[in-house]
Amino acid sequence: MRLGSAVRETFGFFFTLGRRTGRTRTFALLGLVPVAMAVAARAILHGRTGDLAAVSTEILMVFFLQFYIVILALFHGTSITAEEVENRTLSYLLTRPIPKTAIVLGKFSAYAALMSAMVAVGLGASYFVLNAGRMGDAALYAAFFRYLGVLGLGVLAYTAFFAFLGTALKRAIIPGLAFGFGWETAIQYFPGSTQRFSVVHYLKSLLPYRPGSGGGRGVALLLFRLEPTSPALAVLALLAITAVFLALACAVFRAKEYVSGD
Amino acid sequence: MTAVISASHLSKYYGNVLGLNDVSIEIEAGITGLLGPNGAGKSTFMKLATGQMKPDIGTVAIRGRRTWNAPEIFRSVGFCSEPDAFYEDMTGLEFVAGLLRFYGFSRKEIGDRAARALDIVGLTGDRDRLVRGYSRGMRQRVKFAQAIAHDPEILILDEPLSGLDSLGKRKLIKLIKGYREEGRTVLVSSHVLPEIEALTSRVVLVHQGRILAEGDVPYIRELIEAHPHQVSVRSSDPRRLAARFVDDPAVLKMTFGGDGRTLVVETRKRDDLFERLAPAVLEAGIEVEEISSPDDNLEAVFKYLVGA
Repeated sequence: MRLGSAVRETFGFFFTLGRRTGRTRTFALLGLVPVAMAVAARAILHGRTGDLAAVSTEILMVFFLQFYIVILALFHGTSITAEEVENRTLSYLLTRPIPKTAIVLGKFSAYAALMSAMVAVGLGASYFVLNAGRMGDAALYAAFFRYLGVLGLGVLAYTAFFAFLGTALKRAIIPGLAFGFGWETAIQYFPGSTQRFSVVHYLKSLLPYRPGSGGGRGVALLLFRLEPTSPALAVLALLAITAVFLALACAVFRAKEYVSGD
Repeated sequence: MTAVISASHLSKYYGNVLGLNDVSIEIEAGITGLLGPNGAGKSTFMKLATGQMKPDIGTVAIRGRRTWNAPEIFRSVGFCSEPDAFYEDMTGLEFVAGLLRFYGFSRKEIGDRAARALDIVGLTGDRDRLVRGYSRGMRQRVKFAQAIAHDPEILILDEPLSGLDSLGKRKLIKLIKGYREEGRTVLVSSHVLPEIEALTSRVVLVHQGRILAEGDVPYIRELIEAHPHQVSVRSSDPRRLAARFVDDPAVLKMTFGGDGRTLVVETRKRDDLFERLAPAVLEAGIEVEEISSPDDNLEAVFKYLVGA
């Protein structure tokens, strides 16, 4: 089977399967936490719009950008190969007439689609609850799609990186946690070009407001110490991170043999 | 006849542990049984033959094509793995149909083939139930169904009969034999001699990663018969019973157990010994509590064959 068709079929198989797993349900529920927060904030704000709504939106983005997509990508990305080895189901895939690369790419695509859907639902619901008073404002929708795009790119980049970790290491969760919540959290506050060695730097560079522009009203949590890269370069960097780590994951998966506990 | 599966000086190590050691074998069409105790290297050989593992030394090929990173061979190979592992959140039909997606069949053909495979293994009535709710026997059968659904020329089956009840075993044995009638190649492993015997007369004995013997079942039986068996008899008077067998030519050695009630007799002619045991017990008027064969298992036979 050609690579493209094999990726498509692998995607279909794991997208169908992925929708039913307990992990998906758990993470989907986690994605609804901000919706509850938004409802609570809305009740507190009594329908007022303006700075308070903007601050709340920014808090939501901290949740999505620095926690939700990282944890989603960590558990989905590392599981692309690890769950097959741990559940001893890898032989079902390895004994089909498809290239090994298709298994990684197909599962990556399926999980990225599932994660993006979870992010879109969580962000969409919470964002529009919070900004319900401005539904007629076109800028609201533009900002929403920008946020969504940023998170989508984040899902791709993080998942590719964690997929590589999962294929290369036997126990990838701990190093993944250290990267996602240690390195990524610390390095972004370093001055100068050091912060460019994190994924989150490029994601923040794509947010609809920039330091000193008057945007990010309120506490500007996401802009603290940010020395942004230009949006075009940031998109390119995120796509390059995705491509490089996916290619590495495919290469490792092709060369390495995975021995289950049986 | 051309070899369908061939291995040449094949070795595999798990770190410092030897999985397979210098195995050379040619497997032709028909059914070949890999027989050996647990941990003998049967699964390792099958994983190497299906390209799931890479040989450390030597080669393994299917129809002359090396199997590592050669997915195209799986158009004509069906593999049934040994572990009881599944995508549990799928129904039986989804599981088989899902794995058929990787062969390039049309959606209709996938549905038809999956339904047919499940029908063959007798799971039509349960095909819409989740695999996680299946009994052990049903799980074994659905695993077999996914191996045959694409109609492969070569079937590699790792302990396919384990977990099946006797009726299920009989059905599956009949089915596997049907593949031989169609001129296909089946490589099947088991650690139970009667299972292999029911399937084929062509047996390969594997032990500690090596091929110990190759041949038909009568030859293997001969080897096994030559193995000295121990028969343990717990009775009210083991010494009186031992006196009855002192001059018995079938007896190699006799020892008494530490409990003072057990006599352990070593013999090469177990059937002859059993024939004489009952009259001896009756004539001596001894009360027998238990008769057992502590080494009547494949592991002991293999130990004997390798001189351990």
